[in-house]
Amino acid sequence: MTKVKVATDWLAGCAGCHMSLLDIDERIVKLSGLVEFTSSPITDLKHPPKEGVTVGILEGAICNTHNIEVAKQMRERCDILIAVGDCATFGGVPAMRNLVGTDAALKRAYLDTETVVDGLIPDSPELGKPLEMVVGVDKVVKVDLFIPGCPPRADAFFYALTELLAGRTPVVLPPELFTYD
Amino acid sequence: MATANITINGRKITTEPGTAVLKIARREGIDIPTLCDHPALTAIGACRICVVEIKGQRNLQTACTFPVADGMEIETESPAVIKARKLVLDLLFSERNHFCPYCEMSGSCELQELGYRYGIDHWAFPTYTKRFPLDATNKYYLMEHNRCVLCGRCIRACDELPANHTLGLGKRGSESMVRADANMPLGESTCISCGTCVQVCPTGALFYKRSAYMGKDSLTDKIKSVCGQCSIGCGMEVVTRGGNVLQIRGDWDAPVNHGLLCKMGRFEPLYDERKRVEEPLLRNKDKLEPISWDNAVQIMAQRIDGVKEKEIGVLVSSCATNEALYLLHKLFCDQLKVSNIGLLNDAAPQIFKKQQSSLAEIAKGDIILVVSTNPAKDQPVASFLVKQALNKGARLIIVDDKENDLTPFAFLSLKTGDINKAIEIAGRASNPIVLYGPAISGNSANAIKQLKKQAQFIIIESGVNTRAAKAFGINGNFSPAGVKLLYILQGEQNLEGKDLLVKVPVSTFKIVQSSYLSELTQGADLVLPAAIWSERTGSLTNTEGFIQNINSAVQPAGQAKSDWEILRILADKLNRGIAFSMDEVSAGLKKLLKGAV
Repeated sequence: MTKVKVATDWLAGCAGCHMSLLDIDERIVKLSGLVEFTSSPITDLKHPPKEGVTVGILEGAICNTHNIEVAKQMRERCDILIAVGDCATFGGVPAMRNLVGTDAALKRAYLDTETVVDGLIPDSPELGKPLEMVVGVDKVVKVDLFIPGCPPRADAFFYALTELLAGRTPVVLPPELFTYD
Repeated sequence: MATANITINGRKITTEPGTAVLKIARREGIDIPTLCDHPALTAIGACRICVVEIKGQRNLQTACTFPVADGMEIETESPAVIKARKLVLDLLFSERNHFCPYCEMSGSCELQELGYRYGIDHWAFPTYTKRFPLDATNKYYLMEHNRCVLCGRCIRACDELPANHTLGLGKRGSESMVRADANMPLGESTCISCGTCVQVCPTGALFYKRSAYMGKDSLTDKIKSVCGQCSIGCGMEVVTRGGNVLQIRGDWDAPVNHGLLCKMGRFEPLYDERKRVEEPLLRNKDKLEPISWDNAVQIMAQRIDGVKEKEIGVLVSSCATNEALYLLHKLFCDQLKVSNIGLLNDAAPQIFKKQQSSLAEIAKGDIILVVSTNPAKDQPVASFLVKQALNKGARLIIVDDKENDLTPFAFLSLKTGDINKAIEIAGRASNPIVLYGPAISGNSANAIKQLKKQAQFIIIESGVNTRAAKAFGINGNFSPAGVKLLYILQGEQNLEGKDLLVKVPVSTFKIVQSSYLSELTQGADLVLPAAIWSERTGSLTNTEGFIQNINSAVQPAGQAKSDWEILRILADKLNRGIAFSMDEVSAGLKKLLKGAV
């Protein structure tokens, strides 16, 4: 049996959701017999392969143009896209900046912080441009499954992946795995 | 009586017509989710979460307000209903900041529960952007408008329960805001900090400062008890975690207050910053030094044995439990034949032979006469009952020479010299109610006697357990002259500035049973650590004569003991064993209290 290909990536997040994914502990051994993790921020290969994967997992919110590119690339290269964590589903902590506006947030962080001397707002062309609004992944690309939580429980990841391997697409997680915090 | 045969989800139910669908469903154990509805408040059908499908009705109807009629077929979880509820939730989540990870109420939030129930796993509508203010001006709770869903529970609670009418809704549509008075900060408004709005809020829009982020509701223990801050005896729920009291909530099932609490009951006990007495202390020259309980009781017994009964004086706070008062009465009055026993609070005079009426009668009044008592300050829940009656159309007359906090609600406010004017008006009413307290003058007492035939009289005692003290014959007659041993049961009562010891001879051996270090303990020769409201067991008799049990919610601080237990140990040491267990005490005191209160 060929292994199901899974790729993950992160956007404006804290890596906590990836930590939670790893928290499935020894079950990862069983899982690695069934799936192939082609790429992720914590492997050598960072981008999902051109030939595509079955499952794409995205952590983090959309907060700059780079995030949009990553999300769109993942969407193009996967069959089923899962948004994991409160940032990817709701905007999460990065979306707090919506309450003050991007310009004010950048100014506060890079110029007005008490410890800053000769501050400068980074504007290298290599960096993504911050967006006016931080949003969840579903506001940019179509998302097939949402796993909210900060972070989602390891059991939620395991449940979603085993359901997908069994050929079922869970629409909403069962209540015991469904959490907003 | 007319009956209505209806079906809910195919189940046949026979009920009375005119009752709201929600009420019947709840009675039948059929779960209909709600958000703006609260059992203690008037249903308004604002949030649309409880919508149900009723055959023949053009639209979905709100179960909380829709009355049943014969033949009605109701579906509570049909696809149309679920779709509507999801839409309502999507809309609620799209407004303001309903972000669970940072909310104190996460895990104890009704909106969150509904989100889980209907699988709201992402936001269907654009992300929130507008920032609403946070009102932190109240000492005890926060109003976080960003988490408000405008269900109006707090507004209805404020109108209907303490009937204080502080909260209201300002502006319209998405600009709507819960406001205090004419858009005042809560701390500067007419809010009386009773906290009822906090208790009914379904989200994290209103929450207690003290217990914020100290754990989800599911992690806490809840112990039912009775408030010991005044003579009303409100049922309360003490919320604890890890041996700490986090919150006090009103007990909706309590017979006296039906869930109401006031600032004194809900918040002030948690903010008491007096230093506790945690172990028995004995005077050694000018210092109080810790000793063991055994030694303390031994010294006490020797001292009591060493004086004549005439040389013993006793002063009792009405904060003491029935049990403590009973044992005190048994030990000092019956056994030691001490007659110099005083009460630290004034008791209301017995004006009428017949039993006084209960607080519940206030609701039935059309004219309410408040004579020389200030319940809004001293027994706030009694004032809530008065204000509830005013909501129903009753009119309030205040007769008081002092400033009275109910005055803004009164249609007539008189000095005691003009009491006859009030009597005349009340005499024309069909159901006048008279509230009076210990401060009533002889003239006023005579004046209200004219209403004997038609009025209900309700005594508002100023002390907590004054009714029981009176029943045991403990009254205000204490004389410091010639006293060689003085036993003061202070308990939790704050007596700062009262100079109780000023006339007591310096050589008198002073025993003070107290929960907190105070002026009185500083002047004492022996200090006994007493448990406080959250730690003690026993019972209290309220101003109506109603006896209720209090339960300990946490362990006593240090070596503190319940007030009655200290007296029991002392009685044992004196070989005057009166009772050896709580059960024996209870049996004895019930016998004595029966008929007396």
